[in-house]
Amino acid sequence: MKKDMTKLGVTLMLFASLACASLAVVYAFTKESIDKQSEMQLQASLKELFPQATAFDPIQDLVSPNPNFRFEAAYEVKSDMAPLGLAVKATGPSYGGNATLLVGIDLHRSVAGVRVMTLNDTPGLGMNASNPTYYVDKTKKMTFLGQFAGKFLTDPFEVKKDVVAITAATISSRSLTNIIKAAGNAAIAYMDQKAIAAPAEGDASAGDGAEANTQPQAGGK
Amino acid sequence: MKKLYSIFKQGIIFDNPLLMLMIGLCSAIAVTTNVSNGIGMGLAMTFVLLFSEVIISLFRKLIPTTIRIPIFIIVIAAFTTMVDLVMKAYFPDLSKSMGVFIPLIVVNCIIMGRVEAFASKQKLASVIADGLGMGLGYTWVLIAIAAVRELLGSGTLAGIQVMPASYQPILFFILPPGGFFVFSLFISLNIWLKKKMEASAKNKELVTKKEAA
Repeated sequence: MKKDMTKLGVTLMLFASLACASLAVVYAFTKESIDKQSEMQLQASLKELFPQATAFDPIQDLVSPNPNFRFEAAYEVKSDMAPLGLAVKATGPSYGGNATLLVGIDLHRSVAGVRVMTLNDTPGLGMNASNPTYYVDKTKKMTFLGQFAGKFLTDPFEVKKDVVAITAATISSRSLTNIIKAAGNAAIAYMDQKAIAAPAEGDASAGDGAEANTQPQAGGK
Repeated sequence: MKKLYSIFKQGIIFDNPLLMLMIGLCSAIAVTTNVSNGIGMGLAMTFVLLFSEVIISLFRKLIPTTIRIPIFIIVIAAFTTMVDLVMKAYFPDLSKSMGVFIPLIVVNCIIMGRVEAFASKQKLASVIADGLGMGLGYTWVLIAIAAVRELLGSGTLAGIQVMPASYQPILFFILPPGGFFVFSLFISLNIWLKKKMEASAKNKELVTKKEAA
């Protein structure tokens, strides 16, 4: 019996090590490409949020006051040395595990735009947050994240009040809204502390080209 | 060769994992909200199924029966993780839209079922036929269900607008109840197809080989 157990254990170990070894090979093989993809995605999103920006300087000392939200990276966005705003890569809990968003805050203390980095919510429901053709407001062609563009952090950020929810995905809508709010507030605190402010003429308004949302907010349904 | 073809056909229609064996349904309902997800999921599944079955079949004499299940899971999990990594590296968009369902292939009962019931007892050639048959059987059903659901539920096919702009999408088809509804229609279609094929086979007095499934 005892001999049997050792034999079984060794067999299992052999299979596991073989599987591990082959996984390690695939991982090493794909790692570079995966890192490149996520870096490309991040850079593309930063460019989308701040089209006029010429430099994104990483900043280290932006910490989250709430342990539920993590700021993986933050960038001071500049255009020829003049500040444009802050971009925060923030992770927080959502319906299907952690979601990572890139939140851009401009010098007027409003949201320049939001992009999804990773989201694992229900396909067809919560995942609609990252679907560019899913509109929470069809008449205005406004996507869920698009509605945050130009929104001031002084707003209450409450789903079904000043934020239109995704149909059948209230938890996702709420979670993502909270991540944006946490990232935004931290970014504003940072800008206040470092005295990064809009120049008097206020020409630094960062537009969100793809999801321009100049019309007034629709409010809850 | 004929035997292999009949094993392959078992998976596509007669013993279709989704429509006849009724296993692995959760992923089938969950990802079939658009066609590209259906194709991606189906092919990922076929890959994992085929290679897990091949490996298990090759090593079947070396696997002690008492610990066969943990070994199956290790093999299946390894292949699933490979698919996940490769998709993340080379098809980031698809990987993003499938989200958690690729890692969940590990616990898909089709793979476990086929490995346990078929691959652990059969020779390599029939195992390859079974893996391809079952995998493609799963894939065509996913694509078909996804096509119906996406067309009626979003008015698009693989993300391309098909229905006229005036068409108001029926949300019901995107939600799980609509999935079950479309799914049940395909089950009846498959039973009808199966009966018809069996009848024609009898007419030609060809006895369909019944393989222990």
